[in-house]
Amino acid sequence: MDQQKKLTRKEMKVDFEGKIGKVDRFKQHVFSKTFLTKLIWGIFRYILLIGISYIIIYPFITKIAASFMTTSDFTDQTVKLISKHPSLDQWIYIIKENKYWQALFNTARIAVLCGLFQTMICAIIGYGFAKFKFKGRGLLFIAVIITMLIPHETLILAMFMKFRYFDILGILKLFTGDSISLLNTEWPLYILSITGLAFKNGLYIFIFRQFYRGIPDELEEAAYIDGTGVFETFFRIIVPLSLPMMTTVFMFAFSWQWTDTFYTASPFFTASASPMLANIVSKIPPSLKMEYAATTLWESAINNTSGLLVILPLFIIFLFAQRAFVEGIERSGIVG
Amino acid sequence: MNKTVKKKKIASLDAKKARAGWFFVLPFVLGFVLLYIPMLFQSIEFSFSELNIITNPGGGGGGYELTFVGLTNYSDALFSDASYAQILVSSIRQLLLDVPAIVIFSLFMAIILNQKMAGRAVFRAIFFIPVILSTGLIDKIDQGNAVMNYMETAGIDTGAADALGPGGGGGAGGLGLVNALDITGFLGNIAIGSELVSYVVNIVNNIFNIVNRSGVQMLIFLAGLQSISPAIYESCKIDGATGWETFWKITFPMISPMILVNTIYTVIDSFTSKSNEVMAYIEAVFEGTSKQSRVLSSAMSWMYFGIVLLLISAVTGIISLFVFYQRRD
Repeated sequence: MDQQKKLTRKEMKVDFEGKIGKVDRFKQHVFSKTFLTKLIWGIFRYILLIGISYIIIYPFITKIAASFMTTSDFTDQTVKLISKHPSLDQWIYIIKENKYWQALFNTARIAVLCGLFQTMICAIIGYGFAKFKFKGRGLLFIAVIITMLIPHETLILAMFMKFRYFDILGILKLFTGDSISLLNTEWPLYILSITGLAFKNGLYIFIFRQFYRGIPDELEEAAYIDGTGVFETFFRIIVPLSLPMMTTVFMFAFSWQWTDTFYTASPFFTASASPMLANIVSKIPPSLKMEYAATTLWESAINNTSGLLVILPLFIIFLFAQRAFVEGIERSGIVG
Repeated sequence: MNKTVKKKKIASLDAKKARAGWFFVLPFVLGFVLLYIPMLFQSIEFSFSELNIITNPGGGGGGYELTFVGLTNYSDALFSDASYAQILVSSIRQLLLDVPAIVIFSLFMAIILNQKMAGRAVFRAIFFIPVILSTGLIDKIDQGNAVMNYMETAGIDTGAADALGPGGGGGAGGLGLVNALDITGFLGNIAIGSELVSYVVNIVNNIFNIVNRSGVQMLIFLAGLQSISPAIYESCKIDGATGWETFWKITFPMISPMILVNTIYTVIDSFTSKSNEVMAYIEAVFEGTSKQSRVLSSAMSWMYFGIVLLLISAVTGIISLFVFYQRRD
């Protein structure tokens, strides 16, 4: 009985194929409407994606191309992308004469510290907003949004005054007899980071709040029943759980701090003794200075090379971390 | 008696949790109350005052003096300053043109990047490069980048690139991807209206800027798209809805809260970014040598902020009418 059933099925298949034929079937498949639209859409999609990728990468290509050029290449009309006399002069002199390593070290230290502070503090604040009900929570969250809305450029003068004559409720005056000046130090950055007021921290708090809202309350309740305190629960259960999110926010904080020009290149945060990467960009190394017909182009090329040197470390980090970064934000539940 | 004890215990647990909550947000509260609010009010105060810095001969310390001068700084900014008003108007006009373009572009790209295809990971990585790399410093370098312009205007289609003119001032003003003259002529012949044509041409010329500024928005849209349950799409397919219908009836309403968020984010982002002309101008004024330049810059930025705030509330009001919120249980 069983065998007979199989046989009939096989026969049917043969019959079916026999009627249409392989070539016809292929034709039918190719000329079917869905297949054609899919094919056209697919081609269109790749053209679009490749085109826009080109737009994104193009500035970097021009920068890299220009960084190997020498002075004579800019007066030569036949030279466009590929240098006739390639040399590493630009790279070498910028690194040598603009104190590149020192600037790199300073920037890395500040970016790592600020990134860590901001990630940790914003996670803590976001957790407070997401999981606890207390009076004034709504009002306080509006305050967070206000800090997000008002650009720091608006407060630049007040900030300058605040850190020039820094004091906390007159306490410091009691001890030292005078307010202290925090200009030309890194303290303003750290103070702003620790209080969740630094660059785009409102956004990070918002991201963390949305993320922690997505974590079921039962998790913490179980921990509380087992006798763990609120803070222990946070550090031992919630933090490990939110590590992907923290990586993403750290990447944001780190790289935005790295390329930031507001704090590090402002007239009052610049420490002349400790150069930052933001400072080397507009500097032309003395050995590369040259006055001739294409000076503007030449100096612009040097600036571009400096820019490349600034983002090169960042780019390497991005290469390794981009997957975690993109996936982290997708799972973030920003959507709420 | 037993009852009251129990009640008290429950209340104290709530109070404990509330206290813990305060503890968590404490850093922000401290910073906001001790640093931010004083700075905020000081900044507003500065914009209405005249500033004199007193320097101590002994070095260190010192102080400053403020004299209330009313709206002088504001009227100075508007009427005495040569270019502020002009830059303000043109920049806000540009903002209004750019925001819809950025939001629509990022939504479109997010939908494409959300589809399954070969090499998706690579494209995603490339599309998020601007988020990490093209901020701050690089943004600043790319503003009027002589080398990039030089390399673009090179070659055969020099004529077209020159005809594009300033091309919005962005780094790659005219990438020479499309010959804008042809498009303008073509669209002009169809008689859609010159305003619309110039808007489209403007976007095409500005594509570099728009792509660079829509990274975060793309991420937010992607997150939004992935939160839509696939079951809804499946049932649509079974009911025989076309892709077009599914987009307008399902994707669009479901993503509409994200459109609101992204519109606001784009406005804030473009008004706080380095490439913003008004902000650059304000910074230039701040670093100026004149005695009043610093308070003047305060007045200017507060005025600008006020206008943008108005803009944001108007946009929020309008978009909120169309936003669809899914009821969650």
